[in-house]
Order: sequence, then structure tokens, then C-alpha cells
Amino acid sequence: MAHAATLDIRNLGKLYPVSGEPKPVLENISLSIKPGEFVSIVGASGCGKSTLLRLIIGLEQDYQGEIVLDGQRIIGTSLNRGIVFQEHRLFPWLTVEQNVGLGLLNSDQSPAQRKKAIQEHIDLVGLKGFETAYPYQLSGGMGQRVAIARALVNRPEVLLLDEPFGALDALTRNYLQQELQRIWEQEGITMILVTHDVEEAVYLGDRIVVMQPRPGRIKRIVDVPLARPRDRGSYEFAAIKEDVLQEFGDGKLAADLSVRRPDPVSAGEWHFAW
Amino acid sequence: MLTQQPLLPLPTAPEPVAARPARRWQWRWPVGERVLIALVFPLGLLLLWALAARNEWVAPQILPSPATVLAALSELAQSGDLTRNALVSFWRVIDGFALGAVLGLLLGIGFGLSSLFRDYVYPLFKAIAQVPVLGWLPFLILLLGMEEALKVVLVAKAVMVPVAINTDQGIRSVPAQYLEVARIYGFSRWQLLTRVILPGALPGIWNGVRYGLTNAWLALVAVELLASSEGLGFLIVYGRQLYQLDVVLAAVVIIGGVGFVLDKLLSLIEQRLLRWRRDAF
Repeated sequence: MAHAATLDIRNLGKLYPVSGEPKPVLENISLSIKPGEFVSIVGASGCGKSTLLRLIIGLEQDYQGEIVLDGQRIIGTSLNRGIVFQEHRLFPWLTVEQNVGLGLLNSDQSPAQRKKAIQEHIDLVGLKGFETAYPYQLSGGMGQRVAIARALVNRPEVLLLDEPFGALDALTRNYLQQELQRIWEQEGITMILVTHDVEEAVYLGDRIVVMQPRPGRIKRIVDVPLARPRDRGSYEFAAIKEDVLQEFGDGKLAADLSVRRPDPVSAGEWHFAW
Repeated sequence: MLTQQPLLPLPTAPEPVAARPARRWQWRWPVGERVLIALVFPLGLLLLWALAARNEWVAPQILPSPATVLAALSELAQSGDLTRNALVSFWRVIDGFALGAVLGLLLGIGFGLSSLFRDYVYPLFKAIAQVPVLGWLPFLILLLGMEEALKVVLVAKAVMVPVAINTDQGIRSVPAQYLEVARIYGFSRWQLLTRVILPGALPGIWNGVRYGLTNAWLALVAVELLASSEGLGFLIVYGRQLYQLDVVLAAVVIIGGVGFVLDKLLSLIEQRLLRWRRDAF
């Protein structure tokens, strides 16, 4: 089993320059995540939850406070932290197995070990038989599975998920949530999921971190003491979901929550119909 | 440990099968019909030409009939003049194209990757690019003489410009998201270049190469018209000087045909090289 990491975030703050003046996007975030824990982060658009993930993965620098992984302050990216974005970000010129192999490009494993790890992770996400497919041949859900395999292939201690299922249809989303839970239980690693979808947060999380915007802060942390697999139709499930939704107040946020970001990587050719 | 056994019963995947359906709103003729459709205008033009020649709408000394041109073509082919001149032109294009493509690629990569290099070199490059190939001809004749070097350099210039510009744009259009993926997996600069930037820029680079080859062919014929004693362009000048318009038109037909074949060839290579981009076709 992969080693699971303890993540400590202490008094984290982040400023972004907005028209010349530094504006806080994150303020006073403190959160301690146990090894192997599944933490969901929910919040309205602009509450800085994606920025928080980008800080943990190391794509953003210059923060105040501390982000400490197993006693080590995070500087830059590292192979012990993996991430899955809302878009799969697979390289269209590589096949499924080549894309998964990117995660191992700079590992010190032998070619045989790599090949084995790649195959194991393609199997893990249920894409056996699609090894030599190109991304254009995959559906959105399959693309996200490959992205998950790529993120896990070098055995990270933490997996970060930035609205990974946000662009998928409801059926596929539900199915992939179950799959993700299975993978989490199998791999035993720490996962942090950022989502717009309160039900998804309740279904997957041991704890739910509710954030509020301007500047991004933690409003409340909700425990989810339900046994897995969770029954979305149960009273307890609905009660926790309602509790979290209450945090958003007048329901204005429910509308806000349903807003999905457009896929930034989509541009195609077009022709007139004639 | 990885085990293949799922810990909970999984529902069957509600996911669509691979391969997207063809876009329904875009009517495509079957291949055979497409070829026929592509031939409608050329055949119509040929008919018009034949009619014009037969009814002498234009003086026959100026517009010989298609049959005369065909005869001239076969005569040129039999005497070996056609092959000799076509080969001369062909090798000039290949040499100039190779030189220009390499230079253009290097320049384009430089522009795309380094803003410092760009700041220093791009303005001059742009200025040189704005002067048409023939504008350089008088100066280069004095500098290089009338020999092969002149043709190769001018063809190279015609190729270099589109290759450099398209390579630059191809590199700059690689999505930033891919660069983040490279950072996350700790790619070195070399890995970033060879595994992300160049493959990502390949569609753009290839566009430049195709433009470049078309340009090369056009530039070469232009140069041969003005400063050459062999080649297809020269054949045109030669025919005009002897008032053999059938030879002129025969050479024009060959030039057009070769250009068409070259471009088709590149598009075949493209289908192979960029097969991962199928959804954009």
C-alpha cells in the first residue's frame, strides 16, 4: 500500500494583484488532514478552492503561512502529489498507455516495472483494452479515468481532485464517484476533492470543508460519520446534505453551485451546413 | 497493493462507446462523387478553352488549342527537354526547401520559446519577410551571380518565412494546461520541448511546411522566368520568345500539375503524422 501523507495547512493566505493592488483570495486557512483521509471542499465560485489546490500541488507560489506535507514545507511540484483537473489534460498525440506513462517519465523504475505499473493502473480505472486508443476516441468519463490513472501511476501520497467530474453527465458522474471511492479504498491514500456538487462532497468525504468567498475562508467543517458505501437516498445522507446546503444561506448559492466552468480546451473547425 | 477486485459491486458502465459519430449537419459526398465534383470546373475550363480555340475567339497564335498543347507536351517529353528541365526545377526546389525549412524551423522555435530572441530578431525578420522574393532578385544576382546559389537562396527565403511564422504561432498556441501537466510530472526543459511543445505545435509547423512548399514552387518558377537558362520557368520564357505558345502552355500545365501533386503528397503525410487529430478533420 502506498504511503499516505499527513497534510498540515496553517494560517495560509494568498494575495493576487487585482488592478495593481494585492487582494486576498485566501485568508487564514487552517486545516489538518490525516493520512488516508478523504476531504471534500465545497464553496461558491470565487471562494479560492481551486487556488487552494494549486497551492498544495505547487503550481502557485508566494503564499503566507505554511503548507506542510509529512513535516516538509511544500515548494514547487513533486511526484508525491498527484492532481486531476476538470479537463482531463491528456496529450492528444499520445495513446492511453503513453499518457499514463508520462507520470513515470522521471521515476527511477526499470522499463519492466514501468510497463507493469502502467498496465496495473489502466486496469485499476477499468480501461483494459483501451491501451492504444487516442484521447479523441474516448468519452469524457473515460478521459477522466485515464487522467486518474496518470495521476496515481507513480504512487503519490496525496491525490488532489479539482472538480474532476464537473463536466460529465449525471449518470457518468455518479458512476465515477463510486469508482473513485473504490480506488481510494484500494490505494489507501489521502485525497482532497474540490467540488461544486454538495451531494458528491457528502458521498465521498470523511469531512466536508465549506468555504466562503471574498476573501476565501473556511466557514465550517462538517463531519460525515456514515459507513461506506453510502446510500444517497437515506435520511442521514439527506440530513448532512441539507446541513451543508444551509451554510450557503438563502439558496442564492444553489444557483451559483450549478454554474460549471466552460471547458477551456475546446476549439474545433466548423463549416456551414451546405 | 493493487488488487483487481472491486470492493463493492459495480454497475455496468453507462459510458458511450468510443469513436464519435460523423457530424450529421455536414453533408459529405462519397469519395467517387467527390472526385467527380472536383473535376467539374477543370473540365468546364477545358471545354471553354477548346471552344475558344476552335471558334477563334482568340487568335490561334496566342491561344493554341488543347490538342496542339498536348502535341507540344508529348514532343517535349519525347525529346527529353521536359524531363531535363523539370528535374532541374525539382532539385532546385528540394535544395531550397530543405534549407529554408530548417532555417524557418530554428527561427520559429527561437521566436516561440525565447522572448529575448524574439525581441532582437523578430523585427528584422518581419522586415525581410515583407519584401517579396522578386524584390531581392536584382541585389542577389549581383551578390551571388546567376548560378544555382541564387535560386536556392531565393526559394529558401520563400520557404523560411511561412515555416518560421507558423512554427512560432504553433508553439505559442500550445495550451498552458499542458505546460502545467509537464510541471506536475517534473519534466526537464528538454522533455518539455520534445514531449509537449513540439508535438503540440506540430499542426502549426506542418501548416507552415505546406505553405512553404507551395511558396517554394511559385518562387522558383518566378526566378526561372527572370534569371535562368534551364528549368520549367525558363521553358516558358523560351517558348514565348519563339512565339510558341503551345510550349508556354504545356509548361504551365506541368507546373500546375507538379504543384498540385506536391501538396497532395504533403496532405497524405499529414494524415499519417497527425492522425491523433482526427476529430478536427
